[in-house]
Amino acid sequence: MLSGETGIYILMAVVSLISTLAVYMAVVEKDLVKAVIYSALQSGLYTILYFLLLAPDIGLVYIPVAVGLIPGVLLILISKTERWEKE
Amino acid sequence: MKTVEVVVLIILILALALLITVGFEHIMPSTAVRPPAEFYLYATYNPYKLREYTVMSPEAVTAIVWDFRGLDTLFETSVFYLALIAGLALTRRLLSERAEKPGHGLSLIVKTVTRITAPMIIVVGASIALHGHLTPGGGFQGGSVIAVLPMVIIVVFSVSFLIMRGFTTSKMIIMRSLGLFGIGLTAIALFLVSLIQGTHAYVFQNMIKPDAQTSMPIYIAGALISGTLWFFNLFEMFAVAAGFSIAFIVLMLARTLQVEER
Repeated sequence: MLSGETGIYILMAVVSLISTLAVYMAVVEKDLVKAVIYSALQSGLYTILYFLLLAPDIGLVYIPVAVGLIPGVLLILISKTERWEKE
Repeated sequence: MKTVEVVVLIILILALALLITVGFEHIMPSTAVRPPAEFYLYATYNPYKLREYTVMSPEAVTAIVWDFRGLDTLFETSVFYLALIAGLALTRRLLSERAEKPGHGLSLIVKTVTRITAPMIIVVGASIALHGHLTPGGGFQGGSVIAVLPMVIIVVFSVSFLIMRGFTTSKMIIMRSLGLFGIGLTAIALFLVSLIQGTHAYVFQNMIKPDAQTSMPIYIAGALISGTLWFFNLFEMFAVAAGFSIAFIVLMLARTLQVEER
């Protein structure tokens, strides 16, 4: 039986791995709208990490800024320019 | 090509994991509380033994951010507004705030849901900001939660809808300036009071200090407000929410004008 602390560490490891995958998808994705969504997914996972690392203050500022405001600004910029990344 | 990228990524992750496993004892910070943190935690709410150093706030992070290290936060705030002013200066020729016919926006279902959730967003943001001295949170956090609302309205309705409801950039700039003015006034409030009374006080002082006996009110009507912390959080909330809203409105308006010129 796992102790609570080990469970939290395992959860942190899993969340970190998924967030790395999200970063990878955001980098290689050619459709910039999807890349923004992957980036927001990574930020959401980072929020879980911040919460587990006992920094709820940073988590509270991370959710609206990194999941709401920055994707909003990026989507506005994409709608002004081009959606597809060129080679 | 893609396989190579994936393999490199996996090797990188495994190498980092190995590094952390091997150097665990040297990389990981110790769980013991370090001496400065010990003092901050001991002094953050301690009206009995440390009356002359305490902030009277149970939230140690907000106490550090707005009292122990208050000047740092003041300059961080000013950096944020300098960036905002730079953005406004870049787009000042592109703005045209005519009340145009609002666009169609999204469907009726989305609009209704937005109308229902809009007050909830404001209430959550306000509670994060105004309870910043009691629970995790603070002015910047609450303000950025509230700033999500104008963005959602711009996406769901349109930017003309927001402007027709009176949220023009000039009004937002006035609100932001009032927030900044409030922050500045709170910082020098005790200094001004002691200047009138002829006593001694510091700029950015909150509670009594060994050589300055004036203090901000700790309770208002029985509710703990921790002196300057509550006021700082309140004004920061207004300033941050208005600041982010300006950024969105300016970005969207610049786009409309560019489309018109084509």
